[in-house]
Parts: sequence; structure tokens; C-alpha cells
Amino acid sequence: MTERRGSWLVVAEQELRDLWLAGRGLPLTLAFTLVLSVMTYLTATNTALNFLEQRESVNLTLQVAVAVGALLVLLGSADALSGERERGTLESLLLSPASRLDLVAGKALAALSIWLVAVLAAVPYVWFLGHGVGLVAVAVAGGLVVGTLLAVFLMGLGLVVSALSGSNRLSLSVCLFVLLALFAPTQLPGGAGQGWVGELIQRGDPMSSGLHYLGKLVVDAHSTGQDIAWLLAPVVAAAVGILATVAAARFLTLRGGTLS
Amino acid sequence: MKRVAVLLATIALVGADDAGAATVDLNRTHVATRIGHDFTFTSTIRNTSDQPLSGLVAHLNVLSSDPGTYVDPEDWSAHRTRYLSTVPPHGTTAISWQVKAVNTGSITIYVAVLPRQGSDSVDVSQPLRLEVQERRTLNSGGVVPLVLGFPALVAALSVGTRLRRRRRTMGG
Repeated sequence: MTERRGSWLVVAEQELRDLWLAGRGLPLTLAFTLVLSVMTYLTATNTALNFLEQRESVNLTLQVAVAVGALLVLLGSADALSGERERGTLESLLLSPASRLDLVAGKALAALSIWLVAVLAAVPYVWFLGHGVGLVAVAVAGGLVVGTLLAVFLMGLGLVVSALSGSNRLSLSVCLFVLLALFAPTQLPGGAGQGWVGELIQRGDPMSSGLHYLGKLVVDAHSTGQDIAWLLAPVVAAAVGILATVAAARFLTLRGGTLS
Repeated sequence: MKRVAVLLATIALVGADDAGAATVDLNRTHVATRIGHDFTFTSTIRNTSDQPLSGLVAHLNVLSSDPGTYVDPEDWSAHRTRYLSTVPPHGTTAISWQVKAVNTGSITIYVAVLPRQGSDSVDVSQPLRLEVQERRTLNSGGVVPLVLGFPALVAALSVGTRLRRRRRTMGG
């Protein structure tokens, strides 16, 4: 048991080093901060901003941070196994003493670290926009909770698709398509979400319901428990994400190609 | 003759519209507050007639007394329209309104009560005058160091990490 725990920690450490010291971690974070910088500049220099719009701008920044952060986690996990396979390094990984579950768990932690760095990078922007209206703590805490649930879900999704895909390109394409489909309900016009079908879609889609909860928390100043039912889908999705991570370990083979 | 008089009175009562049968009063006429703060006030709708009043709608309106200030009433209150239950003869019904001060300056709020259908006149409350003071919530002057400095810091970290790694690889 001790040996097994040690293995996933060794894999995670190696993955984190590869991601943040030699890989795409910091360039991706740079792109993320540039997006938030442009948005914050445009918002902050808008002199016609009224009080409510300021709350909305904090919410917008937070939602973009959650959405882009989740996208980065998905990209990281979608590349994790199919990328190793394509680079010809999966075989040596599979021959190592670490079990498949340890390998996948280590890669999952590395993918999740992208989200944690993204949320840390978003804090200065949220602070700048929200400190005048006393929103920083609520916004950061809400964003952290919702974003982490979504990140765990997307991490699991990315890993299982990556384990099943015959190529890295296929893995990334499938993951991006699913992500776009999940974000689609957030773009529905206000009236479309009012019927029972519309509400069902919004409540059932983890992205829509998670971002809806954040909006209520930040813009409408609702208490954390007032709209807690909207967190049901993200919580279920996070549980599915963990199961998918375990499934990815089970489906991991040298050649992959179940999805081809 | 007496029967005709009763008949005419009945016709007059049945045919009477609700216009002028209600009055609307607010419990506050002046409020001084700061932007972003919530406040509440109550409107009381009184039925001044001998007949019950039904099918009334109360609507909250917000406008700026300063020309050039755009006010979006939706921002001020999420529930600006209330459908009232029947008000008994000479009875009253009270509605509480929760409002958030969203714009600065001189703002006026009033409540209008009108029947859901028909062309009867509208009963309007006296105005509630607001003086909303500014509260500086965003120092846009300080945004440039953040939006340029933070990505620059991450870029420097990224370049530094790569250079250090390259140096180590070449050295080792």
C-alpha cells in the first residue's frame, strides 16, 4: 500500500516538473493572464460603469477565469496519455513499477495543478475589480469551489478520452467538441431557459449550472446556501470525473484506438 | 319611482370603473443613501370606494432628475411589477419594495397602480426623492501596472525557468 502511494506521488512530481519547469504550464498561464488583463483594462477604464455593472464585471472576469481555466485542464488531460503514446514514451511508462492507476492519478494531479495556478492568477484581477464593492472573498471562494468541481470533471473526461483515443489529435478534437457542447447552454438567450426543458438543460449541464450559481452569488449578492441546488450538477459531474479517471486507468493500453 | 332610483344606482355602481377608487401612499418621501446600498419603502393602496377592487397592478418606476443620467429601472429592483389581490371596500393593501441604489445623483421613484385591463386612469403615488452619493469603487488609474505587470511577471518567470533549464542541460 505504501509502495503504491509512493508511486503516484513520484509520477505526480515528475509530471508537475515536466509541466511547470519544461512544459506548457507557464506559457499557458501567460496566455491566461493576457486574456484577463485585456478584460480588466476594458472594464476598469469604462467610466460609465455603475455599481451593478461593476459586480457584473467581477462576475464576467470570474466566469472567464473558470471557463478558460477549465479549458486548460481539459487540454492538459486530453494530451496526457495519447500524447505519451504519440511521442513513443508510453511504453516505458507502462513498463515502470507504477500501476496504471498510479500513472493516471499522477497525470490527473498535474492537470489539476493548471486550474489551481489559474485561480491564483485570477485573484489580482478579481481583487482589482471587486475590492471597492467588497466582493473579493465571496468571488474567489465561489470561483474556487465551482471551478474545482468543473476542473475535476473535465480532468476525468480528458483522461478517459485520451486513454481511448488512437491519436492525440482525435483526443483533443473530441474533448473540445464536448466542452463546446457543454458551454452551449450558457449562451442561450434569457427567455430560452424559462420553460421546464430550458431549466432542465441549465440545471443538468454542469457548466451552465455552475456559472449560474456564481452569477447569483456575485451579481445578486445571494447567500452561499440560497442557490445551492444549482451546484448539484457540478458535484455529480466531479464524481463522474473521478470515476472516469479510474476508468482511464482501466482502459489504458499501449496502442489505444478504441476511439478511432 | 323608488324602483327606478334603485335601478339607476345599481347601474351606476356596476358601471363604475376603478379610476379614482384607489389612492397610493408611500411611507417615505425622501431617502439619502450611497451607491450600492439597499433600502426599502412601503406603498399603501387604499380602496376609497364601496366596492371591492380587483385586477389591479402596482408598478415601480425609477427616473433620474438630472438630464443626461441614464437609469435602467431593472437594475434598481428585480421585482417592479406586483399583481394585487382584491382590495375590500375602504380597505388597504401594503406592498414592500426593495431597491438598490445603482446610479448617483437625484433620483425619483414612484408607484403607479392601474387595472390589468381597460382604459381606466392610473393612480400614482407622491414621488420618493432620492439623493444618492457617489462612492469610489474602482480606481481605474491603477489598472495599467496590473494588466501589464502581471503578465510580464509570468513571462519573465517562464523565460527564466527555460533559460535555467537550458543552462543546466548544457552544463550537465
